[in-house]
Amino acid sequence: MSTDTQNTAVAQPDEHEEGENYLNHETSVWSWLSTKDHKRIGVLYCVTLALVFLAAGVLALVMRAELSGPGETMMANDTYNQVFSMHGIMMVFLFLVPSIPAILGNFVLPMQIGAKDVAFPRLNLASWYVYLAGATLTIMALLWGGVDTGWTFYTPYSKTTGGGVLWMTSAIFVAGFANIFTGLNFIVTIHKMRAPGMTWNRLPLFVWGMYATSIVQVLATPVIGITMVLLILEQVLQIGIFDPSLGGDPVLFQHFFWFYSHPAVYIMILPAFGIMSELIATFSRSRIFGYRAIALSSVAIAMLGFLVWGHHMFVSGQSVVSSIVFSLITYLIGIPSGIKVFNWVATLYKGSIWLQTPMIYALSFLFLFSIGGFTGIMVGVLSVDVHLHDTYYIVSHFHYVMMGGTVVALLGGMHYWWPKITGRMYNETLGKIAAFLIFVGFNLTFFPQLVLGAKGMPRRYATYADRFTELHQLSTAGSGVLGVGLFLVLGYALWSLKYGEKAPANPWGAATLEWTNVAALPDPHNFKRTPLITRGPYDFHLADEVFGGGDGEADGDQGLRVPDAAPAAPLEPSRDA
Amino acid sequence: MSDDGHHILPKATLLKVFGGLIFLTVLTVAVAYVPLGPLAVPVAIGIAATKATLVVLYFMALRYDNPVNALTFTIGIIMVMVFITFTMIDTAFRGDMGNVDRQTMGEIEREQEAAQQQQEQIPSEQLRVAPADYPDDRGADAGAASGDGDS
Amino acid sequence: MATDTDIAPAPTETDHHDHPAHLQHHFVSSEQQFDSAKLGMWLFLITEILLFSAMFVAYAVYRQWHPETFVAASETLNVTMGTINTIVLLTSSLTVALSIHYIQKDEVKKCIYNLGATLVLAGGFMVIKYFEYTSKFEHGAYPGGMFDPHGGHYAQLADVPFASQFFSIYFVMTGIHGLHVIIGMAVIGWVAVRAWMGSFSSEYYTPVELTGLYWHLVDIVWIFLFPMLYLI
Repeated sequence: MSTDTQNTAVAQPDEHEEGENYLNHETSVWSWLSTKDHKRIGVLYCVTLALVFLAAGVLALVMRAELSGPGETMMANDTYNQVFSMHGIMMVFLFLVPSIPAILGNFVLPMQIGAKDVAFPRLNLASWYVYLAGATLTIMALLWGGVDTGWTFYTPYSKTTGGGVLWMTSAIFVAGFANIFTGLNFIVTIHKMRAPGMTWNRLPLFVWGMYATSIVQVLATPVIGITMVLLILEQVLQIGIFDPSLGGDPVLFQHFFWFYSHPAVYIMILPAFGIMSELIATFSRSRIFGYRAIALSSVAIAMLGFLVWGHHMFVSGQSVVSSIVFSLITYLIGIPSGIKVFNWVATLYKGSIWLQTPMIYALSFLFLFSIGGFTGIMVGVLSVDVHLHDTYYIVSHFHYVMMGGTVVALLGGMHYWWPKITGRMYNETLGKIAAFLIFVGFNLTFFPQLVLGAKGMPRRYATYADRFTELHQLSTAGSGVLGVGLFLVLGYALWSLKYGEKAPANPWGAATLEWTNVAALPDPHNFKRTPLITRGPYDFHLADEVFGGGDGEADGDQGLRVPDAAPAAPLEPSRDA
Repeated sequence: MSDDGHHILPKATLLKVFGGLIFLTVLTVAVAYVPLGPLAVPVAIGIAATKATLVVLYFMALRYDNPVNALTFTIGIIMVMVFITFTMIDTAFRGDMGNVDRQTMGEIEREQEAAQQQQEQIPSEQLRVAPADYPDDRGADAGAASGDGDS
Repeated sequence: MATDTDIAPAPTETDHHDHPAHLQHHFVSSEQQFDSAKLGMWLFLITEILLFSAMFVAYAVYRQWHPETFVAASETLNVTMGTINTIVLLTSSLTVALSIHYIQKDEVKKCIYNLGATLVLAGGFMVIKYFEYTSKFEHGAYPGGMFDPHGGHYAQLADVPFASQFFSIYFVMTGIHGLHVIIGMAVIGWVAVRAWMGSFSSEYYTPVELTGLYWHLVDIVWIFLFPMLYLI
């Protein structure tokens, strides 16, 4: 049994820079398509999702271009309807929901808990193929006339329009399984695959974030699956559950849809919280404030997130009693979210802050997510929402959460783990410029939309009244800046793959396992020896335990103190359940 | 091998549980022919829940299993309850906003118009109660306004 | 299917003498692998429960709105056939539980017999279901838009408003449940073949156990469907 933990002879971290790693130990195309290595699956997902984000992002720029003038500027109304529908569907179902778990979760999570792989590697690969099947069905939907229902597919309209709806609902049904597989895999991995000494209180907070996310994925995604099946049956067999002309109830569809799609918001934002905790702790060189509160508030958000879906339906004709109940519970969500933000700020306090690009993204997140959260509380107020429902205020609110929250955190996380994924450093100066452009561009795009919405500009229209022109043009200009920033990121990321400086094993001086115990480019099996965890993930204050030796002895390059590796676990498996 | 994951259920237990399940099936069919009125649904669902509990605890051996599996299953069941309960909070009170059919909207508008007309018949002086109701500039209206204010 | 993909033994990369053939390289012990597979299966089961939950919600809501319709429509279902099917499915649950019992005691033959019996019972369930479906189709009791009841005791439903909703829910619920029975039959068949080939013993029987869990869940869903659709 003893040799199970070390299969092949592998390079010692930091000793052989050019040794065997997860990228070069097999190089054929088939080795990538049939890989069961969680790191390679993460990379596969990364490339796929980048393409989806590019496509959906370009659609967003096209929409903003159309809205640069009050009349019809470059496309017909029907085309605009299809463009915003595709933007929403691709961004939500095919990009944001899988994004952080599938890319960074896959890549980082097993390393952070000291495992060789996720619990079910084959299921993990299956998840990617299922996702591709879903993406293919999405393309079929486009070929069959597209979708103009918005990403919500509200009945009865979705029953009457376009042949693409059938394909698109199938696509969402199929792509849902990819998320279920990932979530299921992570829960089991976190429960059963932790290295010796990795207690629940020593889990990095990214892992806690992924754990909460996975719970939501497993519990909520099946419901969107069956909802989509019922919608398909409604179209094919006229089952009359949702169609009022057959005696059905369209509001019931909205219940089903939002029972998934509201928790899906937490599927998108909880991993971002996890990344934030990593970034803030590492780049302020201080122990995270309120570890337990941050960890448990993620789980609390995951659970509370199931009780609030009705706040999307305040003006849909649901009963006022349930609107009041849902509105009240919605306020509760503010509590755990607030706990997190306060704890991050408290971590920054008296920390030794190192303003690298990932940290700039983290600080952007704090600002943008706070706006997203506060506007969320506002639209959670029943009477206010009646005024703001279906206006640009809502559009702006969820972009502040989804893009200002999730995408900014994803960008921060990608920069942070980029050296581990590619073995190269990105260009720090360009990184900072891009982060700045994205922050400014984002606010320029979406802050005017808050004002527009409050003034009554409805969402999902290609044209608008003249009095909204200035604000819309400001927003369109902002989207240009945002686009430049994002393309700059893409540009220097690709550039760094070939020309970037070689990354050391732990460029940030972080204290979690993927930095301290894994080579610059990870070994195919992550660890040479399974580590034995003896301290928490952010115990920078215990200098001797974390950095080894006395003060100032273990300085790395750039004057950075790099934490010691965790010791290897004893060879006998010492885990007792 | 530890006991918690690999508990071997005795054959006798399995057969006893099976007997219980068959008994409950017969019972629920028999009870369906008894006129219970409003109790029919809870009784039928209660018997079904008992049967399901038997299957989960013994056939699926959750009673002897790792507690985390039991927790998983419980959370799943709680979510189903949440789904049903919160949806039914809506459907049970649907329409408590009043009738919002298009026809009655027209009637409501006509009523509002009538009320407005009635309101217009009230002399505007009587409706002035706060200082803000009086024009700031002491122009042509000033005399009348101050006259009201005095009275 | 989670059961198919994650637990089949992988070719081992190291030829170590005390390394069991079924143990995948990233697990430390058989115990860890078994526990992981089982937790994974329970998670999969709750996704199944939530998949069915939406249909239960639809049932609850429409029953709440149209109770008389549901009473009238459920009276047209064949209680005898439903009861027989319930007993058939409960028995199949017993046989699958027994198959696990026997494999744990290394009695592979008895395990295979019980799996075979489960398959036969599941097939019987589907046959009875087929007769129920066809008798409804003959009288025009189709789901939703095609609902056009005539003949027998279905004729009276023509005047009952929202009766088509009941049959939509009936066919969707039993249809998706039937689909699960068919998938279960395929998996049980596969497990039985592997047991026949000698893949399982008291040391390694994870696929048998997980298939059993899945089959019991299918049974549980039916335990609820039966009174909801046939009795009340």
